[in-house]
Amino acid sequence: MLLIRTALSIAIVVCGAILLTEMFASIRMAGIRVLPGAVLGAAMVALGAHRLALIARVRGGRR
Amino acid sequence: MQKKTRANPELRRSVTPWGSFSWGYSDVGADIFVGLGLVLAAAAGASNVAFLFAGVVYVCIGLAYTELAATYPVAGGGQYFVMRGLGDIFGFIAGWAVLLDFTIDVTLFAWTSVDYSSQLLPSLTNSVHPWVHFVAVFALVAGLCLLNVIGVRESTAFNGVVSALDVLSESLILCLGFLFAFKPALLIHAMQFNWPSPYQLMLGTSLAIISFVGLESISQAAQETQRPASVIPRTSVSLILTILIFALAYSNLALGLQPWHPITDASGHHLAFWQIFTNNSDNQGKAVALLAAQVPYYGALAALYVPVLGAILLLISSNSGVFGSSRIAYAMSSSNLLPALFQGVHRRFRTPAVSIIFFSSIAVIELIFAAIPGLFPAAASFYSRFFRGENGLDFLADLYAFGAATSYSFVFLGLIGLRLTDPLSPRKFKIPLNVGMRFRGERVEFPIVAVIGFIGIFSILLFTLRTHVLGRIFGPSWLLLGLLFYLAYRRYRRLPVLQSVQRDWRNDQTEILRRSGELELMDEYLANLKASDRRRATEGSGV
Repeated sequence: MLLIRTALSIAIVVCGAILLTEMFASIRMAGIRVLPGAVLGAAMVALGAHRLALIARVRGGRR
Repeated sequence: MQKKTRANPELRRSVTPWGSFSWGYSDVGADIFVGLGLVLAAAAGASNVAFLFAGVVYVCIGLAYTELAATYPVAGGGQYFVMRGLGDIFGFIAGWAVLLDFTIDVTLFAWTSVDYSSQLLPSLTNSVHPWVHFVAVFALVAGLCLLNVIGVRESTAFNGVVSALDVLSESLILCLGFLFAFKPALLIHAMQFNWPSPYQLMLGTSLAIISFVGLESISQAAQETQRPASVIPRTSVSLILTILIFALAYSNLALGLQPWHPITDASGHHLAFWQIFTNNSDNQGKAVALLAAQVPYYGALAALYVPVLGAILLLISSNSGVFGSSRIAYAMSSSNLLPALFQGVHRRFRTPAVSIIFFSSIAVIELIFAAIPGLFPAAASFYSRFFRGENGLDFLADLYAFGAATSYSFVFLGLIGLRLTDPLSPRKFKIPLNVGMRFRGERVEFPIVAVIGFIGIFSILLFTLRTHVLGRIFGPSWLLLGLLFYLAYRRYRRLPVLQSVQRDWRNDQTEILRRSGELELMDEYLANLKASDRRRATEGSGV
């Protein structure tokens, strides 16, 4: 279960990072309009990182 | 007083971290089902910006609630934090605004639950069969009231299952939607050529905040969670980010969605997906189901189950309004902010029946007012003339936004107040960005995020008052009526009218931490108190 949760969290971080990269790459074309997408990407990275931190704490506790 | 508190049965602390998450999710997570259509109709090409602004404010509110609920794990929620931080009268105003939100919550979510059901049962469509719709919503509200009076509540396990299904389903809709139906060019086109007027953007932003209402559930969960200071911050941060991601993702997807089945207007012109919500309250009430149905292939399945899932989640949220209002009223009554009548418990079922029936009745009155334009065409012309033609859903959303913005504004002030007046309570979670300073001889940390959040939510309150014709009449009227009632009650009881009743917060806090099982924090708190007293005695004696 922990493995699935770790994989999911990593997937969330990766998706968020891809979204962030895409948004920053489109700044010239779309300007400030990329902001909602960029915040969405940042929120996904933050959620994934937060979940990974919790999982790391659980694993640390088990050891 | 002490004896009375002891005589009251304590709530069993049995909620797990997932239970705590799902409790909050089943309350706040349902909001996007209501808010999405309303915001798309109001803010058009800037809907994602409206959600972004409201979302940033919501993150600040969420962090504030997390800190307060972890530090003061009591069920009173916003009303308790504000009363403790700013005093009785402000606590009453915040609590009264929360009560408005809870009563609207009951009606609005029952209303949209029926709207989602109408996707599968067309006879429930409001514009076609307004009386059937009205009777269905009324039956739901009355049924929830009855269930709460006899003491049947949805279990945490049931909440957990529905929340898990919903998170999974929404993630699927978004993933498949972005993969197969999202066209970035459509999003940019919508933002470029359908940017709303400032008035519409303000309206959209004030409606977007209703997608983030229900953070009271964090403090309610705190009351029933073992070791809340440790558990609440963990689950709340996940909850806050999940809700923010869903809201931003849905609004971006809706603007850039290439519909699976072409959508045309009456004259056969092609429409963008988000345009089906303009001036169509039937569609506004079931936006997520309509969006899910437009995802290629998966939409065929989603069209069958998303309306059912949405209707169930909305019904749970509606129930949390009935349950939450009675609990807040009970807590306010215990703090002498409302008459003892609201602590009235049913002899047989041992539930706060008076509060449940009273606030459910208010919800029914709100329902009648919201349903009138649909039920009586003659009244519709009166609404168009005096209220810019706002429909029932608009009326409920207006008041919901007003109540939320008011209570959240006070919660930020309460947080600042508590940071200054109660620096000795151990805070296992603190909102970031604090400035150290000295206040009344104690070292305190001033929360900058609370100031930013207050400015954000206060501007949303101003947007609400500026753009919601019904909200600016009925919202302040609700507060004024409540305030007059409060002043009369305090005068009658010979309690301080504008001042606060003297309370022993030190003992209260020790008791709160003991009951929640946070014994280490209790010891730390007692040590802080001792150190502070010793320091003051030393300073007082001039040594």
